[in-house]
Amino acid sequence: MSSDASGCQSAYCNQGWSEVLTHMSPYGWGSFGIAFGLGLSVVGAAWGIWLTGSSLVGAAVKAPRIRSKNLISVIFCEATAIYGVIMAIVLNGLMKKPEDSSYVDGVFSEGWDYNTWYFAGFGVFCSGLSVGLTNVASGISVGVAGSSCALADAQDPTLFVKILIVEIFASALGIFGIIVGIIQSNSSQFPDKLIN
Amino acid sequence: MVETGGLSTFNIQHGYVEALVRGMRNSFVSDSDYHHLTQCDTLEDCKLNLTESDYGASLQNDSTLTPQDLQKAAVDKLAVEFQYLRSQAVAPLAQFLDFITHEYMIENIMMLLKGTMAGRDINELIAQAHPLGMFKESTMRSVVAFESNAKGYADLYQCVLVDTPVGAYFSKFLQESSQNVGAAGEIRNVLEETEIEIIKASLMKYYLEDFYAFCSSLGGDTATIMCEILSVRADTQAINVTLNSFGTPLNDPSMRSTDRRRLYPSVGFLYPAGTSMLAQASDEESLGQVCSLYPGYASAWACHVENDDRSIDDAFFERDAALHELAFESQMHFGCFYAYVKLKEQEIRNLVWITECVMQRQKEAVNQFIPLFSQHAPWRQKGGRR
Repeated sequence: MSSDASGCQSAYCNQGWSEVLTHMSPYGWGSFGIAFGLGLSVVGAAWGIWLTGSSLVGAAVKAPRIRSKNLISVIFCEATAIYGVIMAIVLNGLMKKPEDSSYVDGVFSEGWDYNTWYFAGFGVFCSGLSVGLTNVASGISVGVAGSSCALADAQDPTLFVKILIVEIFASALGIFGIIVGIIQSNSSQFPDKLIN
Repeated sequence: MVETGGLSTFNIQHGYVEALVRGMRNSFVSDSDYHHLTQCDTLEDCKLNLTESDYGASLQNDSTLTPQDLQKAAVDKLAVEFQYLRSQAVAPLAQFLDFITHEYMIENIMMLLKGTMAGRDINELIAQAHPLGMFKESTMRSVVAFESNAKGYADLYQCVLVDTPVGAYFSKFLQESSQNVGAAGEIRNVLEETEIEIIKASLMKYYLEDFYAFCSSLGGDTATIMCEILSVRADTQAINVTLNSFGTPLNDPSMRSTDRRRLYPSVGFLYPAGTSMLAQASDEESLGQVCSLYPGYASAWACHVENDDRSIDDAFFERDAALHELAFESQMHFGCFYAYVKLKEQEIRNLVWITECVMQRQKEAVNQFIPLFSQHAPWRQKGGRR
C-alpha cells in the first residue's frame, strides 16, 4: 500500500482521478452509457425540432402549402431520437445480471471474469457516448438545414428537394454514430457467470 | 445586452418572426406585375392589375385610384404588417424594431414643425403623419404649440418630447446647440426655414449613431450586415447635407467646419477622413472630388454631374435597394427586418411613380423605377451600372 502526496496511509484512501475508472462499477458505467446515449440523442432531436419548427410555423403563415411537406424536416430530427432509443435498447441487452452462483453476499466469487466485466462496462459507456454526441451534432445540423428548407420552400418550391438532400447528409451524421456505436458495443458483452 | 443568438440558438426567440418577415418578402410586386402596370393606359387598369398583387385587399375600398390613395393604402398596409411583427417580437428584436420606428418619429416631428411654420392646419398635418412613427394624439397636438426658436425648442423638449423615444436625440441636439451659441448663434436666428432642416439632420445623425451602436452591440451577423447598411446610410446623409448646404449660410466658410461638420454622423465609411474633407468642400466641384475618392459614391456622383434622367437620390436609392436585398441572402440575423421596411418603402415609391406617370401620360418615363428582387435589376446586369 503506497502513500500519496497528502501522506494518506489508509487502505481506503483515494489514489487519484484514475480511480474513477477502476472504482466505479462497470454496471454503473454501462447504465451511464445508456443514459447519455438516449439523453443526448433526445437533446439533439429536440433542438433540431424547435429550430425547424419555429421557422416552419412562421413561413407557413404566408405560404400554407409548405406545412405538410416540411414535416419531413421534423421527421428527420425525430429520427435522431429514434437512433438513441434503438441504441439504448441494444446496449441494455448487453447488460446482464450475474447468476446467483457467481457471488456471495454481494462479493464476486473466485473465477469472476473481471477483465471482460470492465471491458464491457467501458465499451457500453463509450458506445453510448458515441451515439449521443454524434446525434447532438446531427440533430442541430438537421434543424438548421430544416429551418432554411422551410424558408426556401416558402419562397421557391423547386428548392425543397435540393435542400432536402442537404438535410439527408446532415442526418447521415447520426447514422455514422449509430453504426460505430453498434460495432463498438458488439464485443462488450457483460459476463454473467464464473469462468469454467 | 441580450445576445441575438447564433446559428443554433437564434430560432429560440426569433425564429418565428424571422420566418414571418421572409414570408412577407413573397409579397413584393413581381417583374410581370410591373410589366403589366407599365403597360396600363388608365388608373383603372392599374388598379385592376394591382388587385392580383398583395395590395388587392387594401385597395378594394377606393372607387378610383390616385397615386396618393395608393401611397396611403400601401403605407398603412406596411404599418399593419410591421405592427404585427412588432407584437410577436421579444428583446432584443423588439428593441431593434423600435429603433426602425424612431426614424419615422423624427420625420413626423419635423413635418409637424415645418407644417405649423407654414401655417397649415394641425388635423391635416396629423393625417399626413407616417403611421410607423405615430405618437399619441395629444403629443402630436402639443408639438405645434411651441415657438420655433431656441427657447421654444427647449420648452418643446421639456414638456412633450422628453417622454418619447426620440427625446434623447432632441436633448443631445439642445445641448450641442447651447454649447455653440456665439457668432454662429446670431446667424442661426436668421435661418428659420433652414433651421428645421438642421434640427432634422442633427436628430438623424444622433439616431444613426445610436442605432449603429445598438447594432454593433448585438454582434454576430446582425452587426456585420446592419453596420454596413447604416454606414452607407450615414455616408449618404453626410453627402446630402453637404450638397444641400450649398447656397445656404451653412456653406459660409466660418460655418463649414463648425456647424456643418457637426451634422456629419460619426459612423460610416466616410468618417473620419472623408467627413473632414467634406467639411472643407465649398462647391459642387470639391464635393465631387471627395466623392471620387470613394468608388461606391463616385458613380452616384456621376449621375448628379451628368444630369441624365437619374438624380443622385435615384442612384442612392438604387444602391440601397441592392444592399437591402443582400440582407435577405443570409439567415438568422435582424438585418432582414430593416431591409424589409426599406424595400417596401422603395416599392411604394415605385408604384407611386408608375401611377403618376400613367396619370400624366408620361409613357417614356414609366420604366424609371427600381425593380426589387428582380433578375432585371440594374445591379444584376452583367457590366451594368452600379
